[in-house]
Amino acid sequence: MPEAAFLEQVTQRLKEACPEVSVAEPSPIKGVVNFKVTRADTWALVFKTLKEELGFEFLDFLTAVDWKGPVGAQGFIQDPNPNPFLPEGATPSVTPEPPTPGFPYREKIELVAAVSNWNKWTRVVVRLELPREAAKAPTLINLWKTADWQEREAYDLLGVVFEGHPNLKKILTPDFIAGHPLRKDYVHVKDQYD
Amino acid sequence: MTEIRSQDLGERIRENQQEKFSDSLKPATRNPQPATSLKTDQMFVNLGPQHPSTHGVLRLALTLDGEVIIRAEPDVGYLHRGTEKLSEVRGYHHCVVMTDRWDYVSAMPNNLVFCLASEKLLNLQVPERAEYLRVIMCELNRLASHLLFFGTYGIDIGAFTPFLHAFREREMVLDLFEMVCGARMTFNYIRIGGVAQDLPQSWIEKCKEFLGYFKFRLKEYDDLLSFNPIFMDRTKNVGLITPRQAVDWGLSGPNIRGSGVPYDVRKTDPYSVYGKLDFEVCVGESGSCWDRYYVRMREMAQSVRLVEHCLNALPSGDIVAKGVAKMPKPMPGEAYAHVEGSRGDLGIYLVSDGSFSPYRMHVRAPSYINLAILQEALVGLKVSDMIAVLGSIDIVLGEVDR
Amino acid sequence: MSVDIQKFPGGEFALTTADFFINWARESSLWPLTFGLACCAIEMMGAYASRFDFDRFGVIPRPSPRQADVMIIAGTVVKKMAEPIRTIYHQMPEPRFVISMGSCANCGGPYYDSYSVVKGVDKIIPVDIYIAGCPPRPEALQYAVLKLQQRIRKMKPSRTAMATIPQDKGARTLV
Repeated sequence: MPEAAFLEQVTQRLKEACPEVSVAEPSPIKGVVNFKVTRADTWALVFKTLKEELGFEFLDFLTAVDWKGPVGAQGFIQDPNPNPFLPEGATPSVTPEPPTPGFPYREKIELVAAVSNWNKWTRVVVRLELPREAAKAPTLINLWKTADWQEREAYDLLGVVFEGHPNLKKILTPDFIAGHPLRKDYVHVKDQYD
Repeated sequence: MTEIRSQDLGERIRENQQEKFSDSLKPATRNPQPATSLKTDQMFVNLGPQHPSTHGVLRLALTLDGEVIIRAEPDVGYLHRGTEKLSEVRGYHHCVVMTDRWDYVSAMPNNLVFCLASEKLLNLQVPERAEYLRVIMCELNRLASHLLFFGTYGIDIGAFTPFLHAFREREMVLDLFEMVCGARMTFNYIRIGGVAQDLPQSWIEKCKEFLGYFKFRLKEYDDLLSFNPIFMDRTKNVGLITPRQAVDWGLSGPNIRGSGVPYDVRKTDPYSVYGKLDFEVCVGESGSCWDRYYVRMREMAQSVRLVEHCLNALPSGDIVAKGVAKMPKPMPGEAYAHVEGSRGDLGIYLVSDGSFSPYRMHVRAPSYINLAILQEALVGLKVSDMIAVLGSIDIVLGEVDR
Repeated sequence: MSVDIQKFPGGEFALTTADFFINWARESSLWPLTFGLACCAIEMMGAYASRFDFDRFGVIPRPSPRQADVMIIAGTVVKKMAEPIRTIYHQMPEPRFVISMGSCANCGGPYYDSYSVVKGVDKIIPVDIYIAGCPPRPEALQYAVLKLQQRIRKMKPSRTAMATIPQDKGARTLV
């Protein structure tokens, strides 16, 4: 599996290409090297280096995480079909877990993408933290066409804008659902079907 | 035992890149150029969401020039149920129930991948008997899934009989599942730390009996459909996907193997006990619809072999790891697990913030990623070949939309 | 009720009521629309296939809503799909029947709190028969069709302008 020498070489090369790339310590995903990118404009350059010089040919997944922390249950339907056979107030309701004390919640959205090198059977994860209000990153569609729909999904569900994407529009949620449902502070507005 | 050498795969990709680079620029088709002398207006054709051949609720917006597709845009989301959001208020055991309903045709790998990711977070060691049972169930489910593909792909192409044959055998597989866990489709059998129940009495004999019966049916399928001249005419050299395209679009599973790239998570990143088992990775040659179809047919034979191997090597012992809580509460952390599901590389990225429910769950759904290639693969084809290509990608809309 | 056979020299003829005759024709060839939404659609296909053989009940799937009598809502109805379902329902000719198959179509099922799932298909179209289960077995679907046949037998097509069954306790709200 991941060879230490090769990973060392990858780290070296990435640091040459973009000096602000660092290895996340301790690694958030166990057993995988996590690279942290700090500036959004080098996001595409990191992947270009990984793909074209280091042989990471396959984009495993690309997604984002909202680190705001649980803020309430407004994103869920609270009283679905009331059950006439149950006493008042016994209908299922949603209670999200309270925030864990000590966990580093922050006003950030983090892009997470994993790429694989099939010659060395190595996978690395690249991360980029973005501000929640203006989550913008360059698109990877010029490197991998599979980034097309994965970025559209991240845009639809988490509201990350990928600059340069030719077709960035909603893909999964219907048009009348406003907002980005996977954001922690998503508030569901009652529509005609609720 | 066939080994994929790591060099091998990279070389293959590069070779094909040089040879077929010009191919990848051209639209993949046997009839690529629309007639230039004949002037026709462009026509917009809306296919779905209710269409007998879209395998669910997929909408395809096609722009045609005469009979030739010049633009294809799949429109998904007609089955978007928001499972990733719901997982944030469900416990870990409850999430397993939801995983059944992504790829409802093969639910066992879905259960497995979520359990693998949770076990990484919880640092659980699964007993060996449970690992073998998991592999047996996943491979049987692969049989059921590929049988459904075989039946419905026949219908798509215009042959109804394979459907009846496929479902006859599929019901037998479902009977085996029903004996084990009581459900036919949504099993919730593989649990965090192990499996739900041990095998019932005489299950192993019943399973062996079925496998012996099924081996002969595989030959029958080849006679019935695989080498049927009409079927081959409609699927060979149609919808060619080059290895370069396949890697570029992130294809996985039988689709990428149909293009000749031997990417199989069971070999490349062995999970469970696949590292100890002996099987071949089936690859196609040209990346046409027929290749993708036939990779699945050959994979069924490999699945039979794997199940037989596992049944013979099944150790005794516990089926659930010790110390799995009723409401697991992992330490803060992240995990990524992926398995070779029936449709490809099914991965789960799971984030825990130390509470009873996952903080974030992302599914790398192979159907979703495989479906995107239709934007490129359909361009230049005749409209009558479109269903052949769509069927050969073998999507399940529950997994596409989650 | 039922059929009265009268004999006359050289042959025989049957006497019956118009209601019985129309109902008999309707109930013995219920053609469903080939329309699968999610997991239950696979069980629906299983019901059409070899082992369960739905043809025995006169049930043959039709690909076009214009030729269908009964619509089996097999799976989760999400908000994006709600409008197409209503369109397809209105494209079906009268009398039309709806079978809601599975928990998701009945009430939202495991997705009762999801932002994008319609909590029961009866919020958008009237439903005649509900089948419980997640997913229901093919036998349950066949039982539902038998139940629908029983309901059709009670219809009075000759006496009322409304061809479909009047909305009774089955559905909760109608749009």
